[in-house]
Parts: sequence; C-alpha cells; structure tokens
Amino acid sequence: MKYAFFPGCTIADRLPFIEKSIRLVCPEYDIGLVGLPFTCCPEPNSVQSFSQYTWLTMAARNIAVAEEHDLDILTACAGCFESLAMAKHMLDTSADTRAHVNRALANIGREYTGQARVVHLLQVLHDDVGCKGIEERTLRQLRMRVVTHSGCHLLRPERVLQVDLAEAPAKLDALVRALGMESVDYMDKTMCCGAGIRGVNRDISFAVLREKFAGMSMVHPDAAVVFCPTCFISFEAGQRVVNRMFGTEYRLPVFYYTELLAVAMGLEGTESILSGHRVQGTEETVARAMGHGGTPAQAPMGTHGAREV
Amino acid sequence: MRPVIWDDDEERVSDVRQAAQPCFQCGVCAASCPVFRVAPEFNPRIAVDEIVQTGTVAVTGREWYCAYCLMCEQRCPMGVALCEILVAIKNLSARDGKVPPSIVEMMDVIRFTGKVSHPSKGTTRRRRELGLPELPEVDAAEVQKLLEVTGAIDRLTRYREAECEPQ
Amino acid sequence: MPENRIGVFLCHCGSNIAGVVDIQRVMEAIRALPDVILVEDYKYMCSKPGQQLLKDAIKKHNLTKIVIGSCSPRMHENTFRQALREAGHNPYLLEIANLREHDSWIHSDDPEAATEKAVDLVRMAVARARLLEPLEEPEVDIKKTSLVIGGGIAGISAALDLANAGFKVYLVEKEATIGGKMARHDKTFPTLDCASCILTPKMAEVGAHPNITLLTLADIEAVEGYVGNFKVTVRQKPRYVDTEKCTSCGDCAEVCPVDVPSEFDANLAYRRAIYIPFAQAVPSAYVLDMDNCLGVDAVRCGKCKTACEAGAIDYDDHERVLTLEVGTIIVATGFEVFDATQKPEYGYGEYPNVVNIMEIERMLSSAGPTGGHVVRPSDLKEPKRIVYIQCVGSRDERTNRYCSRICCMTSIKQARMLREKTGADIWLFYIDLRTFGKGYEEFYEATAEAGVTFVRGRVGEILQDDETKDLIVRGEDTLLGRPVVLEDIDLVVLATGMVPTASTSHVAHLLNLSLSPDGFLMEAHPKLRPVDSFNDGIFVAGTAQGPKDIPDTVAQAKAAAAGAMALMGKGRIKVEPYYSVVDEDKCAGCRVCISVCPYNAIFVNERGASEVNPALCKGCGTCTATCPSGAIRSQHYTDGQIAAMIHEYLSAQQ
Ligand SMILES: Cc1cc2nc3c(=O)[nH]c(=O)nc-3n(C[C@H](O)[C@H](O)[C@H](O)COP(=O)(O)OP(=O)(O)OC[C@H]3O[C@@H](n4cnc5c(N)ncnc54)[C@H](O)[C@@H]3O)c2cc1C
Ligand code: SF4
Ligand code: SF4
Repeated sequence: MKYAFFPGCTIADRLPFIEKSIRLVCPEYDIGLVGLPFTCCPEPNSVQSFSQYTWLTMAARNIAVAEEHDLDILTACAGCFESLAMAKHMLDTSADTRAHVNRALANIGREYTGQARVVHLLQVLHDDVGCKGIEERTLRQLRMRVVTHSGCHLLRPERVLQVDLAEAPAKLDALVRALGMESVDYMDKTMCCGAGIRGVNRDISFAVLREKFAGMSMVHPDAAVVFCPTCFISFEAGQRVVNRMFGTEYRLPVFYYTELLAVAMGLEGTESILSGHRVQGTEETVARAMGHGGTPAQAPMGTHGAREV
Repeated sequence: MRPVIWDDDEERVSDVRQAAQPCFQCGVCAASCPVFRVAPEFNPRIAVDEIVQTGTVAVTGREWYCAYCLMCEQRCPMGVALCEILVAIKNLSARDGKVPPSIVEMMDVIRFTGKVSHPSKGTTRRRRELGLPELPEVDAAEVQKLLEVTGAIDRLTRYREAECEPQ
Repeated sequence: MPENRIGVFLCHCGSNIAGVVDIQRVMEAIRALPDVILVEDYKYMCSKPGQQLLKDAIKKHNLTKIVIGSCSPRMHENTFRQALREAGHNPYLLEIANLREHDSWIHSDDPEAATEKAVDLVRMAVARARLLEPLEEPEVDIKKTSLVIGGGIAGISAALDLANAGFKVYLVEKEATIGGKMARHDKTFPTLDCASCILTPKMAEVGAHPNITLLTLADIEAVEGYVGNFKVTVRQKPRYVDTEKCTSCGDCAEVCPVDVPSEFDANLAYRRAIYIPFAQAVPSAYVLDMDNCLGVDAVRCGKCKTACEAGAIDYDDHERVLTLEVGTIIVATGFEVFDATQKPEYGYGEYPNVVNIMEIERMLSSAGPTGGHVVRPSDLKEPKRIVYIQCVGSRDERTNRYCSRICCMTSIKQARMLREKTGADIWLFYIDLRTFGKGYEEFYEATAEAGVTFVRGRVGEILQDDETKDLIVRGEDTLLGRPVVLEDIDLVVLATGMVPTASTSHVAHLLNLSLSPDGFLMEAHPKLRPVDSFNDGIFVAGTAQGPKDIPDTVAQAKAAAAGAMALMGKGRIKVEPYYSVVDEDKCAGCRVCISVCPYNAIFVNERGASEVNPALCKGCGTCTATCPSGAIRSQHYTDGQIAAMIHEYLSAQQ
C-alpha cells in the first residue's frame, strides 16, 4: 500500500531519528511512503484558535495535494492526524463549509474533493498489519515494563476519529506487547501532557505534565512509549523542566513506537536512531531490554543490535 | 457545531450560544480538565455558562489556557462540544487582535515558511547523516495567499495595532 | 341512495378558532354547496347547549349527515357521536373538519389564508359526508379472567386487586419466585421500613389466593385474539422440584457440591445448583438449575434426590406449554439496573471497590451476603470513606437521557443508613437532587444533618491505587468552582439508573405494544391514560412503563387493575366498526392481504376467500391498499370517500 507520507513539522525538522525509524520499518510491511509538498498540518490548537477558517483551509489544501496524486495520507503525529481528520470531517459533513473553503482554495488553483483518507501509522500497524503480523517479524523480544500514552489527538473526539477507545485505549498496548514488552496500566493514562499550552502559559503547562508524570512514575516503568512527536518532546525534554520547576527527579526514557519496533526487528541502522535521545540511560534501557544487562560502557546498544540474531 | 468561518460576529455568538444551551452545569468537564486541575482559574464549565447566561462572549484571556485535549467533550453527558466553543471564543478574541504572543510568532513562521518550525542547519545535517530524503519544497506564496484570503493576515495586523496602542 | 340533507356546524372554540378564522365568511361559502340544508355556528359546540343545538337541528331539519368544523376529532368525536346517538341517529354519519389544530392554531399569523383553508376543509368534509354510510358497532363478550405478566411489586399489587374483586388471575413470572427487585432491598425510603416486612405478606397472599394461578419460571410465547378474548401461549420451564411436596428444608442444597454466583445477591455470594432464591420466596420451594448441575445420574452426582426426604425432586420434570384464555392483560415486566461498565471512566468491573447501589442494597440487608455489613469487596474491611456518584447512566447523552427518578433517594437512603450504622465519612456528588415525593425532601434534610456531605458536581473520573485498592475521586464543586480531589476513598458507590429490560421489548413485540424512545412501554396518553396501552384490553404498570419508586409503582398497578376491572365488569364491549370487509366475489384467494396485515386479523374462510376478523382489525387499510383485485374495502374510509375529498379540494382551484 502506498501513502502520501505526512511526517509533520516536528518529526521532519526536530526529530529526524523518528522519521528514520519510520522509514526503516515501513518498507518491511510494504508500506510505501511518497513525499509531497505539504505545509504544516496546521497545528490543531493554536492555529485553529487563531483562525478556524485559516486552519481548515490549510488542512484542506494538504488533503487536496494528496488527492491530486490519488493517495491517502499517512500521518505519524497525533496532532497532524487530528487536524487533517477533523478538517476532513467538517468538510465532508457540511456542503456549505466545503464550498466556502473551496472558494479560498480556488485562489491557488486547488480543490478539496474528499477522496483521500487520513490515517495514522498506529492504525496501519494495528488494524492492517495486525499485532500478529508485527510479532512474526520481530527477531527479539524486548523485556521492558512500559507505560503507553497514545496522545489526546489520536483518541478524541472519539466519535469522529474512532481510532481506539477514548477512555480505555488498548491498541498501542497491544502493539507494545507484540514486541515482548509489558504494558502497565497507570493513573491518568488518557490525560493530556500539557503540550498544547506550552507557549501560552509555561507554568500551567508543566504543572499538567508533572501530574502526568506523577501517575506514570507510580508504577515504576522502565520507559514510556508514545506514538506522537509532540508527546515525545513533551515527555522527553519536559521532564527536565519539571524536575527543575518542582524539584522532582524523573528520569524516564521515552520512545516513539517505531523506534522500538525497528530494534525488535533487528533492522540495520537502528544504532543511529537512539543516539538522538536526551534522557540519560535511554540506550542502556534498550540494551537491558534486549538481554544485555550491564553498564552502558560495556554494552553500547548499537554494537549489539545487528549481532543479536 | 459548524466551523466558524463566516465573518459575522452575531451569527457566531448565537451559534456558540446554541451549542452551549444543553449544558446543565454538572461540572464533569471541569472535573476532567487537566488545566483546571492545576489552575482552577480556568474552568471550561464557566466559559460555557457565561455564554448561556449573558449571550455574549466575555473575552478574559483565560480561554487560551485550554490545552485542546478534548477530555471535557469526551465526558460531557449533554454532548456539548466545549472545545469547539472555546475555539470559537478564541477566534472572536483573535479577531480583535487579542492573541498570546507565542501564537502570533507561530503564525508568522507559518506565514513565511508554511511550517511551524524552521529546519535548522543542524537538522538538515542530521537528516543527511541519517540518509533521509530531502523534504519537498512548499510554495510559500501559496501559504501567503491562503492566509490572506482567510483573514489571518488581517488578524496579525490587528494584533500589531493593538500592541502599539497606548493603554 | 336516499336524499342527502347535510347540516354544517361551525364551532368558535371561544376565540381559538373564531379569533383567526372569519367564521362568517366560511358560512357564506358553505351555504351555497349542494345538499347543504343548514349552516350554523356556536361558541362552544362541545358544551351542553352546543350539543343540544345539534340534536334539535337534526330533528327539526330532518338532517341525514352532519359536518362539524371544530377541534381535532381526537378531542370530541366521541362527544358528538354520543349526541347523534341521543338524537336517534347513526353516530357514523358524522364528519369533523379540524379547524383548530390543523388551521387556526398553526396559521394564527395569517387569518386570511386560515379562513381560506377553513373553507377548503369544510368543503372537503361535506364531500365526504355525502358518501358516509351508517355503520353498526359489533359487540363482543369479555372473559372475566386477567393475565398479569411479571411478578414484581407491580404485578403482585395488580393481581391481588383483581383477585380480591373476584376475577381469576394468571400471574406469569419468569424467575423461580415472585417479588422482583423489591425483594432485594433492605429498607425503603422515605420511612425506612423494611422492604421484606411489607412485601412478603403480599407475596404469601398471592401464593395462597384461590383466584390466582401462579406460573413461575414461565414466559409468554405468543398472543392471539383481541380485547376480551386473548389466547396466550405460555412456556414454563421445568423446576425439577414439586412445589406441593417441597418443604423448603434445604437438605438438597446442603449436599449439592456446586457453587454458583447468586443473581439474587448481586453476585456477591454463592448459591448451590439446587437452591431457593431467598427464604421467603413464593412459591416456597427449591429449584434445580440444570445448567449448572453436574448431572442427575448417580455416576456424576444425583445427590440431591437421595437427600430429599419429601421425595419432591423429579429429574424427569419437563417443559410445559399452556394456553390461557383471558379477557385483559397487564404488563408489569419491570426494569433492570444500568450496567456501569458502559462508563469506563468510573472503573466499574475493573476496580473492586467501585460498586453500584443494588450491590449496597444487598450488603445492607441482614439476610444478604454480608449479613448486613457494607464492606470493601477487595478486602472485606468496613469502609471509612465513601463516595456516592449520582446519575450514572442517566441524564447522559451517551447512555440514557432520562432521569431515573429513584437513584437520588436510594443513595440518600443508603448514605443515611451507612452514616448511622458506621459513622463513615460520606460524600455524595450530584447534579440536581430529585427528592420529589411525599416526605422525601425532609428525608434529605435529615440525611444532610446526619453529616453526609453533598457536593454539587459530577465526578470526572475515578482512579485506583493498585496496591491498596484505595480510590481517588476527581470532581468539581460547581458551587465554588473549585476542583475536588478526594484521596484514600475506601468505596465508591455508583447510583446506577433504571433501564428497560430486553424482556419488556420482547413482550411488547408479542403484544403489539409501542415503546417510547427511551425503550420503556408507551402509555396511550401521558396524562389522561397513563396505564392504558394503545391496544384495547392491555394495560401497563410499574417500572416497565418508566422509572418510578414503589409508591408510584403500586399506584399505577392498582390503576391498571381498575382499568381491567372496568372492562371485565361490564362483560361486553362495543368495537368500532372501522374494519375492512372483503368482497368475496372479487377475492382471488391470493392471500397477499394475510401477509401484510400487521394485526393478524385476516384468515381464509371455508369458501377459500379472505375474511377479516372485525375485533382484531384496526382499520389501518394496509390490506385495502395492497389487494390486487380491489376486493377489500375499509369501512368508514372508503376509496370513494377519500377520492371525493381530493376531488372537491382540487375542483376549487379552477
Ligand atoms: C437499588 C435500588 C433501591 C431502591 N430502593 C427503593 C426504596 O427504598 N423505595 C422505593 O420506593 N423504591 C425503591 N426502588 C425502586 C423499586 O425497586 C421499584 O420501584 C420497584 O421494584 C418496581 O417494581 P416493578 O414490579 O415495576 O419491577 P420489578 O421489581 O423489576 O419486577 C418485574 C418482574 O417481572 C418479571 N419479568 C420480567 N419480564 C418478564 C417476562 N417476560 N415474563 C414474566 N415475567 C417477567 C421479573 O422477573 C420481575 O420479577 C429502588 C430501586 C433500586 C434499583
Ligand atoms: S460537562 Fe457538559 S453539561 Fe456538564 S457542565 Fe460541562 S458543558 Fe455543562
Ligand atoms: S434520580 Fe437523581 S441520580 Fe437518578 S438520574 Fe435523576 S437526578 Fe440523577
């Protein structure tokens, strides 16, 4: 299956190693990725709050670009997914709205027709490939206790997105288990990470993140697994800010799902991915999960990656 | 609620008011709101109530504290689309140029690059090292045009004017 | 055809009609119509003088057909028909033009157009009146026996009233005992009298009443017939225990090796495969649950039969199918408690210490699974900090929109009892407190005084500390606009609402009853006919019709019994002659009509032609419209009459 790949600004410009993991994994499942001149999705909270019309029209433009190539859109970020899927919903359920937006698009010679579907990578891996398909392709089990966080914008509004159960999401957990990891339930699992207002009010934003971390840390996980780059940054970089602001001592490695998938599949080139992480001990955590206990000096994860088979 | 795309204030407010009408003030939205939990000065329930009671949108500035996590909508027993309502309120205040500076910054970046973040030299290098393909170029003129016809440029201008106005 | 002499009477309905429609102009326009002998108007045609005017005019002018322009025929058609009867006239020679609901009320902003419409409506009525024919109302006998479906407090109350009035009653209950939900309650609000103390004497009375035949483990399977003459097929499951011989000694359960969660105790305790639901069950006999029995032969088990000294156990007992002939039916199939797993944010079914009000009800009962002590299911300790959450599954777009009415009072009752028994700290989260009944508000005030904290706000979520199984409750105190976080909560009780049962919709289907959008049984009129169904001779009672407490349930049950008695006491009933008739000369015997009739009113007679049973036919006209030979005629709504109205309306346009 070929998709118009929508990496989103955050992955493409700030977390290229995540994009790398996606590009490593996808061909293995015959998921073709085509690059198209997409703009920002645009970001669902700030841009939409600034002007819903602008937000809707830009999203419609992105979908129209994919439509011109007869492709469905594959997103890797929960925020991009939310923006494009919600915009699509609005455009598909109101002829008035669609006409209004298409008048704006006419200025740049484009038209939204509603042909293209919008999906997130989680859906493709869970619903199309399936956990069994994932498990069959792994070369090693990752022995790790993790907490998962699907991301607000993959789950809600539930009745429109219909990706997973909003109150009791299970798909990311199932995917995580397919790699041999244990997914532990925790308090406030569906709660927001606070990223949406980081620019507007830093104090509140990090206070929200602290709450989130309090819930996760209660079950003493080895790592957190996310499927969204914004959540990734929020958790990874954010925990240091939380520690500074509130005197806490969180040190929780964070992974984007396909990074671990690539590791479990034993793909070439995974070494370069994990070195981009900023939480101390991230690589050791992976090494331990692969059964290479010991200190980072003895077992830098990269060297073992390919040999393990 | 239909998206707010028409530039008619009155219609918007009455739209929003209608959407807020079923609320019976139970507070599940606030109880589920991660922001309210740490900063009770922001209360989604009261934001909704204000519209129902007064028929006007009181722009307090706090509406921008909504993190858009959609938890309130998820649990509202009356099916009130709170986030949509908050978006509408923010749209109205943005129209008057009342926007947090961080959002204006973001809009400016989008205006000139089509993206919310510039690829720095470092990331371009990282991308090359990782063997990632070049990112397809976005036509900045297209973005400019869309921002213009959808009124975003006007809003940015109004923000700058409001900023310069002596208090 | 004899000469038509039509009298037209226009009602002002005070200013309801005359305030909008120009009555004078309508009269002018009508006077000129062929066959119209007389046009009169009057302020209130339905009043005594109005009716008198009608009766006098019929005699004086020798009128053959009457047209009245007034309110909807649903309001006063019967009044005017009766007036016609009193004038010695056939009541079906009357046509009503609805000038109020169809005209003046909805066009009050445009009197001109409303007047024109009134002229049209009356003209059309005159056109139809010309073709009206006198009809005879057939009379049918009514059997003086009643069927009550469901043996909760509603069914019990209705059955006893009927039986005491001398009517025979069949009480059909699908469980092994009667009593319904009330049998599971501990004390009842607002008087805190013990539920079984007031219920069990009534149950015993049912069991012993010579006029009541009690059929437990039974469900209805098919219903035929019509008011006064229903034929009901009932299927009764085998009990494997002879209720006559069983002494309820319990020796059988003693030896039974199987433990099964007890439904009666909200699955908080176990029962055996042979068991009695509770001590005061009626019939007072054990029942063998064959689905959970190990096997009745001596190899697999068969212990109970050996243990039974009375020889009451019969492993060869079998299912019975009975046919009951009854004149009236009362449906009292009750409710179910909302399944809180549908609200995952509350963790019911996942967190052991989140329970519902029915479970607390059983725990509070001294005959219940915990001997009257409310405990935390996780460790059986006494809870010190308890939270009640109202409106779970009620007043909620995602589940049920209606208010369940009883849960506020039930929670207040339980909180009061818990507070008094254990001194626990109790918080009760509500949106609105609905304490509407007699003595209820006072009961609430006393509970607040006893130290229960009432917080206005709906709880957003419940979280669990997985080690201690303690709970955290998050809500908003909406009166203060502040977040409330209660930690170390021992027990959360969800005030789960009432929902309609699947078995009610099953019964509704068999009896052709309508359901309201909320899934409960629909009454014929919400105010004036609250216990009648749309089907003559069938009544609804209790929570099958909608959420209600015991006083309202009993009141409704007694009303339903009275309705049934009113019919049966008379012994005969007139049936409206709006049925279809088949012209046997035209009928080709294709039977299409039989397949489309929603009321099963058509059968093939000995001459091979279709025939309509007037008592079953509702005059819906489906067969008339379907018959390929045009052999069926709907009496009182003939094709000719309807065509004449359309023709009249269209001819005016020229
Ligand atoms: C936890 C709780 C506490 C309550 N406390 C109080 C209180 O303190 N005071 C108060 O006034 N009210 C109280 N109520 C309300 C009270 O329980 C109801 O008003 C009352 O029980 C309703 O009686 P019913 O006969 O309509 O229904 P039910 O008790 O449900 O009886 C219906 C019967 O019909 C049978 N049945 C169903 N379908 C069929 C079928 N197809 N064929 C044959 N039989 C069938 C069922 O098995 C059942 O026996 C409480 C309710 C709850 C949930
Ligand atoms: S959850 Fe819905 S009904 Fe309840 S207060 Fe909030 S908006 Fe109103
Ligand atoms: S009775 Fe009270 S708890 Fe029950 S649904 Fe109505 S308001 Fe809610």
